[in-house]
Amino acid sequence: MTLEIIVMVKQVPDKQEVVIDPVTMNLNRSLTRNVTNSADENALEAALRIKDKTGANVTVISMGPPQAETTMIECLARGADRAILASDRFFGGADTYPTGLTIAATISKTGKFDIIFAGEESSDSSTGHVGPGVAEFLDIDQITYASSVEYEDGHVIAERELEGGTEVVKVPLPVLVTVLLNSNTPRMQTLRRKIDATRKGIEMWDHDRIGLQPEWVGVRGSPTIVRKMNPIRERERAAKKIEVSSIGDLVDELYEKKILKLEDE
Amino acid sequence: MSEFDAIVVGAGPAGASAAIRLASSKKNVLLVEKSDPPGSKNVSGGVLWGNGLSAIIPDWEKSAPVERFVDTKSVAFLTQDSKIGIDFSSKKLEQKKTGYTVLRARLDQWLARKAKEAGAMVINGVTVEKLHVEDGRVTGIEQDGDVITSDAVILCEGANPRVAINSGLRKPLSDHDVAIGVKEVIKLPENTINERFHLKSGAGFACEYVLGYLKGGLEAGGFLYTNKDSISVGIVVSMSHLRKNNATYSYNMIEEFTAHPYIAPLLQGGEMQEYSAHLVQEGGLRSIPKLFGNGYMIAGDSAGFSFSNGLVLQGMNYAIDSGIAAADTFAAAYDRKNYTENSFKSYQDRLEASYVMRDMRTFKGIGDVTWSPFVHKKVPAMLETLMMGLFMEEGRPKKHMTRMLLDALSQNDMLRVSSLMDTYRMMRRM
Ligand SMILES: Cc1cc2nc3c(=O)[nH]c(=O)nc-3n(C[C@@H](O)[C@H](O)[C@H](O)COP(=O)(O)OP(=O)(O)OC[C@H]3O[C@@H](n4cnc5c(N)ncnc54)[C@H](O)[C@@H]3O)c2cc1C
Ligand SMILES: Cc1cc2nc3c(=O)[nH]c(=O)nc-3n(C[C@H](O)[C@H](O)[C@H](O)COP(=O)(O)OP(=O)(O)OC[C@H]3O[C@@H](n4cnc5c(N)ncnc54)[C@H](O)[C@@H]3O)c2cc1C
Repeated sequence: MTLEIIVMVKQVPDKQEVVIDPVTMNLNRSLTRNVTNSADENALEAALRIKDKTGANVTVISMGPPQAETTMIECLARGADRAILASDRFFGGADTYPTGLTIAATISKTGKFDIIFAGEESSDSSTGHVGPGVAEFLDIDQITYASSVEYEDGHVIAERELEGGTEVVKVPLPVLVTVLLNSNTPRMQTLRRKIDATRKGIEMWDHDRIGLQPEWVGVRGSPTIVRKMNPIRERERAAKKIEVSSIGDLVDELYEKKILKLEDE
Repeated sequence: MSEFDAIVVGAGPAGASAAIRLASSKKNVLLVEKSDPPGSKNVSGGVLWGNGLSAIIPDWEKSAPVERFVDTKSVAFLTQDSKIGIDFSSKKLEQKKTGYTVLRARLDQWLARKAKEAGAMVINGVTVEKLHVEDGRVTGIEQDGDVITSDAVILCEGANPRVAINSGLRKPLSDHDVAIGVKEVIKLPENTINERFHLKSGAGFACEYVLGYLKGGLEAGGFLYTNKDSISVGIVVSMSHLRKNNATYSYNMIEEFTAHPYIAPLLQGGEMQEYSAHLVQEGGLRSIPKLFGNGYMIAGDSAGFSFSNGLVLQGMNYAIDSGIAAADTFAAAYDRKNYTENSFKSYQDRLEASYVMRDMRTFKGIGDVTWSPFVHKKVPAMLETLMMGLFMEEGRPKKHMTRMLLDALSQNDMLRVSSLMDTYRMMRRM
């Protein structure tokens, strides 16, 4: 039987271009270019390597606005077989809980799944909740922060990056794996594959198609309420030129300015 | 059977226009652009002159992301201390809009979207590597080992046409063919711009400068165009001149320009938003390659259709018109199902009949004039001497105007036969 692999991908604003509107304190998404979350490209690559060896089917799934289509096409152009975008105005404003729920429900609707890949975290919100959340909703095992992933005979063998070492785990299917950023080199999109991907197109699923009630998802399904966001204000650096004739003078000077302290003070 | 009727390489104004035209006449067209999104690496000053887009997008003036219409067009000579210029402001420019300032990142994305809406397949983020040639005929393109086939390829790669050069369709660029443009976009509030340049909302200022004061005697042109809430400012310096002055960097030159006593106040308080550099095609008529052959045509900057006549820098307009001409030539060939060189001959005829080739011929020697010490050194200095003479009140009776002009000319070493010849040549070529 063909292995069914799912890859969860998120479209995020290009990090270099993120602008916070100083008045509304919102992320101004209209000015920024959207890209595929980098760790998700590594997740897709991990999936495609298993596909290369086993002939697995790779389906990418994302929850997001219609413009996330470009990210989905990109994934197809790298070698995914199918792309499903869960997109519905009811999904807007979701925190990590309904995001996980929506993706888990979408995955269930596709039928059989053996390995689910996610990135370790997104570059824009970076909670790292969504992958593990999906595993919990689907009630399957999970391997987090994997630096390498192999498939062998009904199992995933993964190396996990830990503080002070690595751990190798072997887990039977079905399993969810979150993949470390930069843990592999994603393959290029080629013109041939981009043309084919554009022709094939993506599937758009709304809450009805997925079988979710509007009140379970999006803003209404989110337990967190964001009261206020504070941008980090840059602090003025107290750079000053101090003219001294010896190291000893410098130490005295710094001590007087209370920049240096004695240990027992 | 080919996979596409036509493949267009490059989604600048030339390629996008060609693709829109082709798709509008129901051709199966692929437009491939290396940057993502389209336009993110493209550079123009830029003023889009003319009404070329109306042929493919009739309501473009309403829907295109243009910044301001040009209602004041100026040309000025700058010396170390002075600015001597001519301003042309006119109600006529408001009634009949002749040019709009544009920002390429926005314009190109919009054009690519129009191509998609018209039915073209638009793929960005992929660089075409080379042409696919079978039996002496271009039958597609190659990328990463794959061949994508088409009945014809229209090359619109811009000022650095690697594919055309690598395929031997165009000679490698020589220093005389290109200049380097360096540009900054400076953010300023819309109102500040309106006040500084005495503009009504929506109206814009565009000026070209002769920079007669740069260190090392470098010859460069400057430009300054107002966008809605930013100013595009930059310099263009010929490659051969830059090469001769090896120690000069183009980024120092733009700083010298923006620090000029009559430029700096215009930019004051602004925040730099964008910095870019790009090649400019300046070779004129002599750098234009053979424009078509079996299975291919070349349009826009790739074909050398861009130059400055000293008053305006143009290229986007030629790009649009040549792109459309290539598309129309393809459509005619499509009806005959004949994509040979012979079938594409009418491309040359279309261009010769349009203002594209006529302009190229009219201004064929302009480069020798716009890039000369005469224009860059002598003229600005002479004008400064003359003006100072005219307006200086020294309690002495003034000389006759003609006398003053002659004095100014002689003081700046311009009363020589060679200088008179230069003047004559300049007038003739402009
Ligand atoms: C201004 C602002 C305030 C926010 N406040 C809160 C808050 O208070 N509480 C809260 O819980 N969240 C908050 N969020 C974040 C929330 O909206 C998340 O963006 C979203 O739920 C996904 O979480 P994440 O980006 O942290 O993903 P992570 O959990 O970091 O992502 C890990 C992986 O999960 C997958 N994944 C994540 N999102 C998707 C998706 N949409 N589609 C497919 N796969 C996906 C990807 O593989 C990704 O690599 C806020 C976001 C913003 C912009
Ligand atoms: C500083 C400066 C100021 C200028 N000011 C003006 C002005 O005010 N008014 C004016 O009319 N003109 C101006 N020009 C000239 C004008 O920018 C060009 O003439 C015009 O852009 C030409 O259009 P094009 O479509 O031929 O080429 P481009 O606009 O350069 O477009 C070529 C496209 O092809 C893509 N491409 C290249 N190679 C490949 C490949 N192998 N595969 C896929 N894609 C590829 C590029 O990414 C690019 O998008 C200026 C130029 C410069 C540099």
